[in-house]
Amino acid sequence: MKRVSLLIMIMFLGIGLMVGFVRISVAAEPIVIGVPTALKQPESIDSFRSAELAVEEINAKGGVLVGGVKRSFKIISLDTAEERPGIPIHDILAGVEKLVLEKKPHAIVVGAYRSESFLAQMDMIAKYKLPYLETISLTGSFEERMQKDPEKYRNIFRICLNVPTSILYYTELLKFLNKEFGFNRILFTVQDILAFQQTAQAVQKWCKENGWEVVGYDAYPTGSSDFSTTLAKAKGLKAQIIFPIYYTAESSILLKQARSARTPAILVGYVGPATQENAWGVFEGQVEGLVNLCYSIGQIPVKTVPKSGEYNKAYGKKWGEDLRRKLVGHGPASGYDAVYILADAIRRAGTLDGNSIVSALEKTDINGAIGRIRFNKNHQVVYGLDPKEAAVGCLFQWKKPGTRVPVFPLPIAEGKIDLPSYIK
Amino acid sequence: MIPTILINGLVNSVVLVLIAIGFSLTFGISGVANFAHGAFYLLSGYTAWMLFRFLGLPYPLVILISVVTVGALGAIMYWVVLLRIRGIILSEVVATFAIGVAILEFFKWMGFHTYEFSLPVFIKGSMEIAGLFLDYQRIAIVFIGLALLLFLWFFVHYTKLGLALRGIAQDEFTAMSLGIDSDWTAMISLALGSALVAVAAISILPLGIIAPSVGYDVLLTALAVAIVGGLESTIGIVVGSLILGYSQVIVASYYTPLWMTVVYLVAIVGVLVIKPSGLFGKSKELEERV
Repeated sequence: MKRVSLLIMIMFLGIGLMVGFVRISVAAEPIVIGVPTALKQPESIDSFRSAELAVEEINAKGGVLVGGVKRSFKIISLDTAEERPGIPIHDILAGVEKLVLEKKPHAIVVGAYRSESFLAQMDMIAKYKLPYLETISLTGSFEERMQKDPEKYRNIFRICLNVPTSILYYTELLKFLNKEFGFNRILFTVQDILAFQQTAQAVQKWCKENGWEVVGYDAYPTGSSDFSTTLAKAKGLKAQIIFPIYYTAESSILLKQARSARTPAILVGYVGPATQENAWGVFEGQVEGLVNLCYSIGQIPVKTVPKSGEYNKAYGKKWGEDLRRKLVGHGPASGYDAVYILADAIRRAGTLDGNSIVSALEKTDINGAIGRIRFNKNHQVVYGLDPKEAAVGCLFQWKKPGTRVPVFPLPIAEGKIDLPSYIK
Repeated sequence: MIPTILINGLVNSVVLVLIAIGFSLTFGISGVANFAHGAFYLLSGYTAWMLFRFLGLPYPLVILISVVTVGALGAIMYWVVLLRIRGIILSEVVATFAIGVAILEFFKWMGFHTYEFSLPVFIKGSMEIAGLFLDYQRIAIVFIGLALLLFLWFFVHYTKLGLALRGIAQDEFTAMSLGIDSDWTAMISLALGSALVAVAAISILPLGIIAPSVGYDVLLTALAVAIVGGLESTIGIVVGSLILGYSQVIVASYYTPLWMTVVYLVAIVGVLVIKPSGLFGKSKELEERV
């Protein structure tokens, strides 16, 4: 009898040890997140660093609960170098596909840098049914494709602000400027890329339909560094607003030239280099008065969304104050929240099966650094004007002595738009 | 609009002269088409930036060191690489192009392409000319361009070295028979061409930022101006610069800035078809040579 009891005890002990061993083995395998993007570009590298920050935070809390087992995240990056105009799309696709096949990520975050690359990757990624959370490309063509074939692209989601919302922000701001200051003459100057052209043309159309006079529309190739003809045009045709949309480092020259040429027009739009906190010092105050779009909060902390401030502070703690002050206005906070969105979806799905994660992603409803995060039927995070209801971008104005003051949307505004001193 | 076009066109043309003059000089004397021209332009900008930012040297000293350094690098490039393949035109082009791309890609790999890479202007501020506010840096560029052309004219007409360079450019074998060392003058021409592009960089880069893409643009600009004006002619460089400079400003003002680069490409193809040696080029036309 004693011998039987002993045998039964040993048996249960053995089974317990086996289960424990299996559980340890399973728990040791991390959840792999792939980040294939243009790692030399500020938007991408800041997004990647933000994703790494989120991974570190989640892992520090024990990881993600997957069907009762905690697993850590592991991030793998690939520099697609797609910021170079000469890099063919098929080379980018080959690189991303290699990452998918060799490293076998459970999901991809951040994603393509160029809209053209993103649209091409959509077809390739759809083949692998891999959850893909895009945080940089703005193109409106993403949602058009989702509408046309939702089943094919079911696994693809976009976290960052989209073109229609940026248009909403710009047009609402123009309404305000018209009401407050009587402005109605505008000149557009646009970097010649798909998303920016779509945005500018839509805003131009709105202007024409709403009684504005569009005095000019100048598109420049990526990398252009001389805007003197456009500024001369703005002055000659008495533009009251110059509407730039650029992300390149060279676009900062527009600000320098505008001040040198004493162009008496307020700049309202998106100048990538001038979204960064250190821009006032770098440009020696020449950004004063610029009303610039930050594509999501977080890069700019806003008081009404505490998580945006927490993210901003944590980024500085991990990567240093210098890099925090250089955070660009598009991508980083979305990259950070993308990891949390994924973690939440995996936890709710209880599995690492791609289809299950996708179903869980569709039902996302969490609060992140960018505001309230939910997806619409086209898998686009819903952006709006109130962070309690949607994710938000932020139009801010540079004011003396060198601060970025959020001015729109009103629920997050911390000041009003002032006309800069160089405009009479 | 007309005064704006006239003034902006002039500034743009002088910028093109500054960029192209070194390239043309090098080719005219040594026969070497230096495809590392854009890379040397950028190199001088980054050198000045590093000297100014990290060593805190006075700016005039920074300019001097940058110009001398890049000039020396041009000489070294000739002595180490080009001397061995002199006369093999394709090899010279490939070698200089490879060196140029290596330099530009190195800076790109180092991450030297944010807006923090910029040089200070010589004098801050602007002044009004015919209703247009022109910053002092652009006015300085016009004066530097004119001064450089005067200096070059004086150098090649009244100095021993300059006369030797002219001799080699006119007839290499006769100059050699008079004791002028061809390799030595070729090296000097590379050094001088590189130093001139460094002067261009120091003058023009404060208007914008230092970015690797600028190196490729500078090479395209120098080629376009040299082909339009004529590779071995200084007058050709000036006329070519005026034609291209004003064309760009007119196209940008009346059509779209997207076509500004197209102006170069159309000019290159057009001139090559109509007059391959360029407007003031000294190379004989194919029919004459045959």
